[in-house]
Amino acid sequence: MSAVVQIDGLSKRFGGIVVADDIELTMKRGEILGLIGPNGAGKTTLFNLISGVVTPDAGTILLNGEAIRNVKLFRRARMGVARTWQNMRLFSSMSVLDNLLVAPRSYPGESVLQVIFAPGAVRRHEDEMRARAHAILTRMSLAALANRPVTDLPFGRQKLIGLARALMNDGDCLLLDEPMAGVEGEAYETMKTVVRQEAAGGRAVCVVEHNVSFVKDLCTSAIFMANGRIIERGSVADLLASSTLAELYFGS
Amino acid sequence: MEYLLSILVLCSLYVMLSSSFNLIIGYGGLVSVAHPIFFAIGAYVAALSAIHFGLPAVPAVLLGGAVAIVASAAISLPSLRVSGDYLLITSIGFQLGLLQIIKNLEITGGPGGLSNVPGTITGALRSPAFAAISVLLAAATVLLIRWLMRGPYGRAITAMRDDELAFTALGRNATHIKIVIFALGSGMAGIAGGIYAFFYQYISPEQFEILQSALILTMVVVGGISTTWGPVVGAVLLLALPQAITFIHMPPNVAGGLQGVLYTLLVLIFMFARPQGIVSAPRTQL
Repeated sequence: MSAVVQIDGLSKRFGGIVVADDIELTMKRGEILGLIGPNGAGKTTLFNLISGVVTPDAGTILLNGEAIRNVKLFRRARMGVARTWQNMRLFSSMSVLDNLLVAPRSYPGESVLQVIFAPGAVRRHEDEMRARAHAILTRMSLAALANRPVTDLPFGRQKLIGLARALMNDGDCLLLDEPMAGVEGEAYETMKTVVRQEAAGGRAVCVVEHNVSFVKDLCTSAIFMANGRIIERGSVADLLASSTLAELYFGS
Repeated sequence: MEYLLSILVLCSLYVMLSSSFNLIIGYGGLVSVAHPIFFAIGAYVAALSAIHFGLPAVPAVLLGGAVAIVASAAISLPSLRVSGDYLLITSIGFQLGLLQIIKNLEITGGPGGLSNVPGTITGALRSPAFAAISVLLAAATVLLIRWLMRGPYGRAITAMRDDELAFTALGRNATHIKIVIFALGSGMAGIAGGIYAFFYQYISPEQFEILQSALILTMVVVGGISTTWGPVVGAVLLLALPQAITFIHMPPNVAGGLQGVLYTLLVLIFMFARPQGIVSAPRTQL
């Protein structure tokens, strides 16, 4: 399997605090990599470094073999880095469908010139994206809610919409930041199924998650982080059995 | 009749100003106080190109709009690349500085302004013609903004205002969109300025002072920010109100003060009673 994301020697410090210390990791097609560790371990920061929210001090990030360390946030998304956020960051004044429709990698509607001088092309693209959005919402049993304001929906559903929005980006790299926090019941099962399908479909998925059973069920391998460093890596079972992990997570 | 037509022209021009300012500050969430200076750029460029180069009115007005767009990029390119907050600071400097230059240059007529702008249309039909052109342009401005906001471009702008980081992380170029919105709004103000110059045939720096942006902002806020019709209602209301007062006969020194009191009172009432303005924005665009 080819590496979608290849990270080497990635480091970042905020003032005196090291949030990423010589990180090395590989995300492969079809794999679901679990990122676990206590709060403040640098898991979200690692997502911010990969997606381009934060610029690293040192190291390399390759996306499908191409160096993206100095590529801007919005360009990385267009290159195929899709992500979700711990606190969802949905567009609160918009409907479910509109939240999804602004998310594809290419969006001709963001250029006034195209909107005015190539309305036909813009409309065709919009129709295509509307169809894709409906397909994604249908997979998550959310199609009936497409026109509802996102803020009207319960928390678990909003989490799913966060994932649905990220899936509008059909790139190779999918970063999920605590997809399960606060999600239960039906939404939990849907989340699990969809994440598994996305990996099976050829994406490289990385999940930050505190929910151990979710990680156990889903992840093909896992990385344990603490204080900005990768402490251990391996199969989920090995990691969960490790004494270092238990010590760092729960205290000795 | 002549009087009513000239009010119609003024109302239309202010509808253009308030609608385009609403695009910038309401829909775009870009805080700027420089709208009057783009109005001025349009007026001065149109007037000067007509006076000195004999340019006909239509290309002169278009040139005014184009120069306003270029000038807007000069302040939005550097300030919006850093952060949106810098736009406010740059816009204050640009508004005050450029007006000061206009007041001191010989070619712009200094503080006295330009009083020899060609009349363009002559005869009895002058005022009706200008009224028709202004109303059409105002309608075109309002409808163009409405059309943009209802389509994919408007969706992008709304998402950007809701959460810029999430928007950018989806692959959207927020900086580019802001620069374009600012340019569009400024260009529309520039066009309004050109019409203003040709209609009144007299322009002076005091007509474009920074206080004008308080008036335009009041129109937007009272009418309803981030709505299509709010700025229209606000502009007409705020221009009609002082005109209505002039019909009540009272000493000019009292009437002048009363206008200021009325504007302030209006804003205060709206702040408490109806902060969303007369026309309220829909909660969700479907």
